[in-house]
Amino acid sequence: MEKRGWDDFDPGVILFSFEKDKKVTDIATTEPENRPYSQSNSFSSDQASGWRVEKPIFKQDLCIDCQFCWIYCPDMSIISRDKKMVGVDYDHCKGCGICVEVCPTNPKSLLMFVEAKEEAEALAEWPEKKKEEK
Amino acid sequence: MLEIRWHSRAGQGAVTGAKGLADVIATTGKYVQAFAFYGSAKRGAAMTAYNRVDDEDIINHEKFMNPDFVLVIDPALTYTDDITLNEKDDTKYIITTHLSKDDLIKSQPKLEGKDVYVVDCMRISQEKIGKAIPNTPMLGALMKISGMYDIDFFKEKMLEVLSKFPQKIIDANMAAIETAYNEVE
Amino acid sequence: MTEKMELKSVEVWDGNLAAAHSLRQAQVDVVSAYPITPSTPIVENYAKFLANGYVEGEYMMVESEHAAMSGCIGASAAGGRVATATSSQGFALMVETLYQASGMRLPIVLHVVNRAMAAPLNVNGDHSDMYLGRDSGWIQLDSFRQQEAYDLGLMAFKIGEDHGVRLPVMVHQDGFISSHTAQNIFPLSDEVAYSFLGDHQPFNAMLDFEKPATYGAQTEENWHFEHKAQQHHDLMTKVFSKVEEVFAEYEKISGRKYRIVEDFMMEDAEVAIIAMGTTVNSARLAAKIIREKEGIKAGVVGIRLLRPFPFEQIKEVLKDVKAIGTLDRSSPNGTVGMLHNEISGVVIENEKVPAMKNYIYGLGGRDITIQMLQDIFKELDVSAKAGKRVGPIQKFINVRGPELSFLGK
Repeated sequence: MEKRGWDDFDPGVILFSFEKDKKVTDIATTEPENRPYSQSNSFSSDQASGWRVEKPIFKQDLCIDCQFCWIYCPDMSIISRDKKMVGVDYDHCKGCGICVEVCPTNPKSLLMFVEAKEEAEALAEWPEKKKEEK
Repeated sequence: MLEIRWHSRAGQGAVTGAKGLADVIATTGKYVQAFAFYGSAKRGAAMTAYNRVDDEDIINHEKFMNPDFVLVIDPALTYTDDITLNEKDDTKYIITTHLSKDDLIKSQPKLEGKDVYVVDCMRISQEKIGKAIPNTPMLGALMKISGMYDIDFFKEKMLEVLSKFPQKIIDANMAAIETAYNEVE
Repeated sequence: MTEKMELKSVEVWDGNLAAAHSLRQAQVDVVSAYPITPSTPIVENYAKFLANGYVEGEYMMVESEHAAMSGCIGASAAGGRVATATSSQGFALMVETLYQASGMRLPIVLHVVNRAMAAPLNVNGDHSDMYLGRDSGWIQLDSFRQQEAYDLGLMAFKIGEDHGVRLPVMVHQDGFISSHTAQNIFPLSDEVAYSFLGDHQPFNAMLDFEKPATYGAQTEENWHFEHKAQQHHDLMTKVFSKVEEVFAEYEKISGRKYRIVEDFMMEDAEVAIIAMGTTVNSARLAAKIIREKEGIKAGVVGIRLLRPFPFEQIKEVLKDVKAIGTLDRSSPNGTVGMLHNEISGVVIENEKVPAMKNYIYGLGGRDITIQMLQDIFKELDVSAKAGKRVGPIQKFINVRGPELSFLGK
C-alpha cells in the first residue's frame, strides 16, 4: 500500500472497506472480485499467496457441492457460485488445509500439494477411492 | 453580603434547607450560594451547610466564612460543635433547644453576651410534620429574626419550592414555618 | 417526541444539575456511565430525564469506568451524540480508553468533576484527575463556576463534533465547590439550546452500511507516527479558531462572553495569579480587594482551554507583567506544578521575563481563602518591586506543619 503522509488521510485511523466515494448498495449480490475494495481492505492488501508451503488443489468431478470447504475456510478463499464449488482463491489462501480436512468425498475433492506443483500433474496423480475397512 | 452557617446532622435537612432558602431568595433577584461540607458523611454525622446572599454576583468560592447568622438545628451540636467559630461581633445565633434562652446560656457559657435566639425546631417538626426534620421551621425562625422577608411572602415562595411534594407534606411544612416564626425568642 | 421542560429564567442549580441539563438539552443519544462521587448526579439526572420522557436516548449501565468510556467509544463510532461523566479514580480507570477515543477522533463529551486521587482516599476537589488527562489528546475546557459547566457543556458538543475538529472534549468543574454548590443559573430554553447545537452530523459512522468503516485498526511504526502527528496538528491548528467561533456564537444567544484565556484586570497588572477552576473567581475577588486596599496592581489569568494549550494567547496577556504566581491544585510529586512548567515555557518567549513563583494549594478540597490569595499577591508584589524572584520557587499554601518550600532558595 502507498505510504501516505500525515496530512493525507481522514482523521481517526479509520479504514474503509471500499474505495472512497464509492458506495455499495447491493453488497450481497456483488461478487467479491467486482466489489470496489479499497487499498486498505484486506482483500487488496493482504495477499497471502507468498506464505504458502502447500496449496489445496480442487478436483471437480469428485465434488458433491456440500459447501463444507466454503463454510470452514477461515479466509473466504473458496470460490463458490450458486452453491457450486468453483475453485480456490489463490490470492488469499494461506494453505492451512482445513478445506481438505473437512472434505467428505472419497477420495477427497481437495488435496494439499507442494506449492510448485502444476495443477494438471496433481490431477493426474489423484489417488483412487479407498476401500472401507471392515 | 449576608452569610449563614448551618450546624446540623446529616439527614436533618440542612442542605435542603440551605438550598430551599437560596431558591426563595433567588426569586427576588438576589444572588445566592448554598453549599455544605461533605465528607463520606453518614446519617447522623455532624456537618455544616452554608448560604451566601448578595445584591451582586457572588464570585467568592472560599469555604471560610464569618457568619452573620448561625443556625443550629440539632440541640446537641450546641455543645459538641464549635458553633461560635469565626464569629463576628454581631453574629446572631438561632438555636434549636427545649431550654429557655437563659438556661441554654447557663448550659453553654460561651454563648454569654451573644445575640442568641431559641426555638424548639425538633418539637415543632415532630408535632407539625411528624418527623424530626427541623430544617423548615428554622427557616421560619430565621425570617422572624433577620426580617429578611415578610412571612407571608416567604411562605408563598416556599410553596413554589415545595410544589413537587404531596399537599399534606406542604401543609405540614407551612404550619411548621409559621409556628417557629411565632415561637422564636 | 420528547417533552420540553419549562425552565425559569433564573434557576438555583448546583454544577452537577447544570451539567445534566446541558446533556438533556443537547438530546444526547447515549450516556454510558459508571457513576462516581462527586460526578454521580450528572448521569443520574440524565437517566431521570430519559425515564421521564425529556430525552430520547439510551442510558447504558456498565461495570466500570473503563467500560463506560468503551461504551461511549462504540456509540460515538456508530454515529451517535455521546456523553458521560466521571471523577478521580474513575477517571484514572478510564485513561486507557481516553486515548482510544481521541485517537479514533470521536467527539465524546466527558464531564470531569475534579476530585483528588487516592491514596489517601478523598472525595473532595482538586485537579489531580484533570492533570492526569492532559496528554490524552482531548480538548479540555475548564469552568470556574456552575454556570460555566452548563454553558461549556453545551458548547463542547459543537466544538468536538465539528467535522474539521472531530475530537473528544472534557468539561471540567471543581468537585463540591462547583458540583455541589447551588448558585443562580441562567439557562437557555430547550429550543434555543438545541437549535444552537443542531442535530448531530455523523462522520464516517461505523453504522453507515453503504460505506463500511473499521475503527480501532492496528498500526505499527509504518503508520502510527503519521496518525499521532495528524492528531497533534489538528489540536494545534484547528481547535482554537473553532472554539473562538463557538464562543462568539454562544455569546449571541446567551449574552455570556467566553474567551480561551480569561484575563482579569491584566491591562496594567504588575503581578498576576494564573489558576484554574473556582480559584480563578476567588482570585478575581482577591485582586479587586488588594488593588483597593494596598494599591497592588494585581491581575488574574484563568485558563479556560487547557488543551490545546493557548501558548500565544497567554504570551500576549503576560507580556508586561513583573511577577507571576502559578497556582497548582495537584501534587506535582517531584517537580514544579504543571501550570508553572507550562507558563514558564511561555514567558521565556517574551522580551521581559517575569519572576515566577509556584504555589501548591487546595489538595483534597483544602480551602483557599480570599485572604490567602491576597497574601500571594502581596508576596508577588515583593518580587515585582525587587525586579527578580524573592524567596523559593515553590511553596505549599495552607498545609499544617513547618513551612514547606522547594527550589531556588
